Amino acid sequence: MDAFRQAMHLLFTLDDELLQILGVTMRMSFFSTTISCLIGLPLGTLLGTHSFRGKAFLKKLLHTLMGLPPVVAGLLVYTLFTHYGPFGSLHLLFTVRVMVIAQCLLITPVVTGLCASYMEQSAAGILETARGMGLPAGRVLLLCLSESRTSLLSVVLSAFGRSIAEVGAVSIVGGNIQWKTRVMTTAIMLETNKGNFSFALALGCILLLIAFAVNIAASWIVKEVRYD
Amino acid sequence: MIELTNLKKQYGARTVLDVPSLSVKAGACVALIGANGSGKTTLLRILAGQLKPTDGTFSAPQPVLYLPQRSYAFRGTVLQNVLIGTKNKREEALSLLERMELTPLLQKSARSLSGGELQRLAFCRLMLRESALLLLDEPTSACDAHAAELLLRELQRFRAAQNCSVLLSTHSSAVAAQVADRCVQLENGRISADGTPQQFCTR
Repeated sequence: MDAFRQAMHLLFTLDDELLQILGVTMRMSFFSTTISCLIGLPLGTLLGTHSFRGKAFLKKLLHTLMGLPPVVAGLLVYTLFTHYGPFGSLHLLFTVRVMVIAQCLLITPVVTGLCASYMEQSAAGILETARGMGLPAGRVLLLCLSESRTSLLSVVLSAFGRSIAEVGAVSIVGGNIQWKTRVMTTAIMLETNKGNFSFALALGCILLLIAFAVNIAASWIVKEVRYD
Repeated sequence: MIELTNLKKQYGARTVLDVPSLSVKAGACVALIGANGSGKTTLLRILAGQLKPTDGTFSAPQPVLYLPQRSYAFRGTVLQNVLIGTKNKREEALSLLERMELTPLLQKSARSLSGGELQRLAFCRLMLRESALLLLDEPTSACDAHAAELLLRELQRFRAAQNCSVLLSTHSSAVAAQVADRCVQLENGRISADGTPQQFCTR
């Protein structure tokens, strides 16, 4: 209860550092979720609705990547963007941009895999009917995505949930630098290590409130229109 | 003209369709009859391009329209469903829906329709399009006698207007007798009989 009270106090007193951490967290989660969905949703749709040689292998690879440990993804991105790495000249290490890249590596397989599973199981009827109507392939795909929007929203929210709650990769590539790359999860980890448990719990409460608010907003956006 | 040569569909070791040869004249209406699992839907789905045959070839006139056994009701009203993918067909759609006695349901959600109503709606969605080959998988299976009559009458009107070939699967000899010029019976994926509807009705 103390933690919740402290969380409310931090929010309503508009603590500068908290607002900055919130801003970085939301920016990172928004961009990583958006980029992952832009790549993963069309890929998942294609994978779930088409048969081709090597599909079974691709699905196995995807399922493996869905379980990619965040620290491994972080380490991989760190190796690529470190000073002597292939992309070292871009000087992106310890910036929010590289945190977004690391998160995309983690989240895109999740979005693709979940979307493909949904399309395989539930979209068959939609596709059969739409193709039977002689609609062009692009229109069939759009119709399928539109009809599946409630289910696809769950996929997007899962991606956002993974992004906002992720700590391993962002702490490796972001460095948890105060006023620069510190996000909610790395701040919670830091406060816990310092023994500042109630402050860490307060931050946790705020993180949950954000996730709840995003869920409410997303449900409102795609709510069903009634025609009766 | 539809031409099938050595068309086969297998799932593992199980052969669900094995048609050495079948041809259908342009503009003809053929009823596919047979028990459940005899291969009617498989044949229609292959011709519709929704299923790849294991072996064999076929040629079919384009464009092809296909009505699945269980059609999907898209989000939106009945009218919006009928107008999907069409341009400037609102008046035509309203008149079609009136003939199919769906006017009272125009503004209802398509998802609130009964099985028979949905089947008529799905049929209407095809009737506003151009077609050289119409494939119907048990188009009246959920309809009562009156609704089936409306649907078959509209089918005849569509055939006359577009001079398209029609292949429909059915369990009803009355449906076959009313619209088909020819009946093809399938049994375990093979053609077991081929003749006029009258020949089948007198068996």
